[in-house]
Amino acid sequence: MNEKLKELEKQYNEVPIPKELDFVVKNALRQGKKKKKRSLQWLLGSAAAAAMLFTAGLNVSPAMARTLSEIPLVGSVVKVLTWIEYEVAEDTYDATIKVPSIENLENKDLSKTLNEKYRSEGKALYDSFIDEVSDLKENGGGHVGVDSGYDIKTDNDQILSIGRYIVNTVGSSSTVMHYDTIDKQNEILITLPMLFKDDSYIKTISENIIEQMHEQAAADSDKVYWVKGGSLPDEEVIDGFTTIKAEQQFYISDKGKLVISFDKYEVAPGYMGIVEFEIPTEVLKNDLVSSKYIH
Amino acid sequence: MKTRNAFKHEEVFVQYICEQKERFYLLAYSYTKNEQDALDVVQDSIQKAMLSLDRLENVESMKSWFYKIVVRTAIDFLRKHKRLQVTDDDTLQYLTPAQEDVYENIDLEHALDELPQTYREVVILHFFEDLKLADVANILNIKMSTAKSRLYRALKLLKIHLHDVKGETAHE
Repeated sequence: MNEKLKELEKQYNEVPIPKELDFVVKNALRQGKKKKKRSLQWLLGSAAAAAMLFTAGLNVSPAMARTLSEIPLVGSVVKVLTWIEYEVAEDTYDATIKVPSIENLENKDLSKTLNEKYRSEGKALYDSFIDEVSDLKENGGGHVGVDSGYDIKTDNDQILSIGRYIVNTVGSSSTVMHYDTIDKQNEILITLPMLFKDDSYIKTISENIIEQMHEQAAADSDKVYWVKGGSLPDEEVIDGFTTIKAEQQFYISDKGKLVISFDKYEVAPGYMGIVEFEIPTEVLKNDLVSSKYIH
Repeated sequence: MKTRNAFKHEEVFVQYICEQKERFYLLAYSYTKNEQDALDVVQDSIQKAMLSLDRLENVESMKSWFYKIVVRTAIDFLRKHKRLQVTDDDTLQYLTPAQEDVYENIDLEHALDELPQTYREVVILHFFEDLKLADVANILNIKMSTAKSRLYRALKLLKIHLHDVKGETAHE
């Protein structure tokens, strides 16, 4: 090869490889696998069809939807089903939107409120995706994808925590999580503020999270958080984490711990994905109204 | 059945990615010029690839297939973050003579960086990543003749004489 080209190739190859690359690659491979398993039953059905597919679930064929997506919940009557699934599978446009539905709550107002919210948000997401695709098509095409669905975080005698995620892929992907936590015995929706006596919980939790961010970053150099006083030099932290929102996304774990969740890019670089912090109950005990949910 | 491909290919894919991850990073970096963004591009490319492994016809074409995903992801990323003005071919043609003058005296130190992206990517893929010109054209979604002329122009801007360059380009 020509000398100049060789020199250029050398320069090209000399770009330093960040140590996080390993972690990022492994993480992406793992998440990719997980995602594929989750959507496999749908893939089987949809791979053959190239054009737009519209898979209607529960509302068209209740029996089939129930057998496919009912989540077996031992010893509880409240169920989460897939109400409807929107699917688009074209070459560069992908969408999978799974809308959950909470069934068998005695409190019909609560289930109606939640389910209507889920359905209208799911429909809106699908509509905006279709708009975006037709926009792109007019402008010469591109890649765009959306993957939305839900995870049951906790389901025990007392608590049902359901997390709905939206992953948008336009170049870089962004992920947003929304949680709803229900007290199954009293059939009420639990909000973060109602767990605490007053709003001093915001400060308590924020301080604990900053502490955890520092500890994690010190213990593992792959972990990076946008927070001052940590592994990154302060001047590189622009708009770093200082406090949670009063209505920060959260859920209650099976063991009765409070878990605070942040969306991708909210407090850390993209490769960290969604980040969660379990807040030790010990730290919260002075602020909690009771130890009923969190213990 | 396409889904079967996904299983068959997955093992090969995971191994390929693990072995070649640094190459992908370098390619992503040549677009984003920024460590964090390049990592994001690598991550998204892998995830996208995993989801569409079933569309990969045969394992032999995995390399150019995956490079295509990386290139598209990187370009989408730049587009989304508005750090790049996307120009259509006509405009590019129109602007090219002027650019030629500007880039005539590129010193070798930053030569590659200063090359317009459309030329840089052809050089990187063909010479540094050892891809055939036909594959480069496929990856960049351009015609073979366009790929060829971009390569010639890039070499000209870099003041590299064609007869010094390895076989394939010179003889095609």
